[in-house]
Amino acid sequence: MAFLDIKGVSKRFGGLMALNDVSLQVEKGEIFGLMGANGAGKTTLFSVIAGHVAPSAGEVVFDGTRLTGLSPSRICRLGLCRTFQIVRPFAGLTVAENLRVAALYGSGRKLSASEIAAVVDEALQAVDLADRRHLDAAQLTLSGQKRLEIARALATGAELIMLDEVMAGLNPTEVSAMLATLERLRGEHGLTFVIVEHVIGALMTLSDRILVLDHGERIAFGTPEEIGNHKRVAEVYFG
Amino acid sequence: MILGLALAVFGVAVPFIGSPYMMGVVFQVAMWIALAQSWSMLSATTGYLSLGHAVFYGIGAYVCVLLTGTLPFELALLAAAGSAGLFAALVGMPVLRVRGPYFVILTYGLSELVRHVVMRIESALGSFGRMIFDVPSTEVLLWWMVGLAVLATLGAYAIRHSRFGAGLAAIREDEVAAETVGVPVTRLKLLAFIASAIIPGAVGGLALLRTSYFEPAQAFDPVISFTIVTMALVGGTETVRGPILGAVGFALLSELLWSSLPQLYMIVLGLTLIGFILFVPKGLSGLLGRIGRAA
Repeated sequence: MAFLDIKGVSKRFGGLMALNDVSLQVEKGEIFGLMGANGAGKTTLFSVIAGHVAPSAGEVVFDGTRLTGLSPSRICRLGLCRTFQIVRPFAGLTVAENLRVAALYGSGRKLSASEIAAVVDEALQAVDLADRRHLDAAQLTLSGQKRLEIARALATGAELIMLDEVMAGLNPTEVSAMLATLERLRGEHGLTFVIVEHVIGALMTLSDRILVLDHGERIAFGTPEEIGNHKRVAEVYFG
Repeated sequence: MILGLALAVFGVAVPFIGSPYMMGVVFQVAMWIALAQSWSMLSATTGYLSLGHAVFYGIGAYVCVLLTGTLPFELALLAAAGSAGLFAALVGMPVLRVRGPYFVILTYGLSELVRHVVMRIESALGSFGRMIFDVPSTEVLLWWMVGLAVLATLGAYAIRHSRFGAGLAAIREDEVAAETVGVPVTRLKLLAFIASAIIPGAVGGLALLRTSYFEPAQAFDPVISFTIVTMALVGGTETVRGPILGAVGFALLSELLWSSLPQLYMIVLGLTLIGFILFVPKGLSGLLGRIGRAA
């Protein structure tokens, strides 16, 4: 059975079909890419999986547990956490405090004070924010806040992390630093990632498999190489 | 810490050294500390500003007036606190679904609603106020009130420094993000709401025993809610000492005003609040902190 199994998920907003019968399976330890133009339904799919939006049809199963109908906090405690495309730091708390909240609540079990400190330190190290731990999150640059989003998801102890455009708005140097970070995280922590990205180069480099959505429907699925040669994808992206 | 301890010791000792007038002032100060500190358990931590805390005070007073005579006053006070907490638990779910200005208005409206309901019930029963006799001595009431102020302060401190408090701070900063990283937002908000209601219930009961007279319009007076918010904001919401500073400063100021310029009381209350919000957003506590660092 797949680690994350999305079965025939549809989401209708009034007359708009944001997702139409989307199914996909993510295996443990892989980086799964989601591609699509604006409005293709990528973020809606994230919201459905993470429990922020209830699907009109279909269901999501994670590690054998049905997620549909559960609250986002419950889903996080089961080991699945998302980041936000438009960052949502706890702006008035320090970087370390942001991570502390995630460590305190994210895992669903009570950790000791020293375990919490270790989780926070590890997450800070992972995204290179250790030297800024005492700054208020609001004082970080955009790149810093994007990394804080990832670190906060890590600190929850999640095994599957969904990254919503963590590269958007970063310069090329920052993008390659972020790529290296993600690769390292997968290697060292055995995490599974589902990533949405507009920076196609980054997505192609990182992903093991890619699903392409257009107007809420899947139009292509395969390795980065297959997607690169796919006729409909080229049509959707380049006209 | 030292400030709180000194105040508590002074409060306990005042019956032996002070005049009846002094005891009255200390009773008032302790009452406002207990109320502002309880309010801060919800509103300072989560940013959900309640403008309806008079409802818990009023419910406490009402329950207490109905039970004294049948029960020893200690049990009546316990029931007053419990009823306020129970009421918070019942209305909390729907009320806490809205935030920002909507929450402020809703809590105010709810408090007014309960006030009018109790007024109707009382007038339907043909009573326009209830007297109670056989109340405990002023000293005993004072000690109870000082005890509640201490309890509320310890409670507010414990919440701020706990896992619970960290979750509430996350809710204040970004509720959606908090939920996403595993914070059970709805449950924590409800618990904070209940925690902030319990002591005000007991305070209402004690205040009733002190005046030995219950009148719904007075017990649910919205000015109580306004005063709590003003004190907490003037004192500063970022620290536990804030509500203490605000309550002491304000209670003393109001003693001064009542005796000299009673007409100006509400005007000065309003002006002080505006002044602090505009120029001293972190309140007296923040001001002290700044002076401390400068020195």
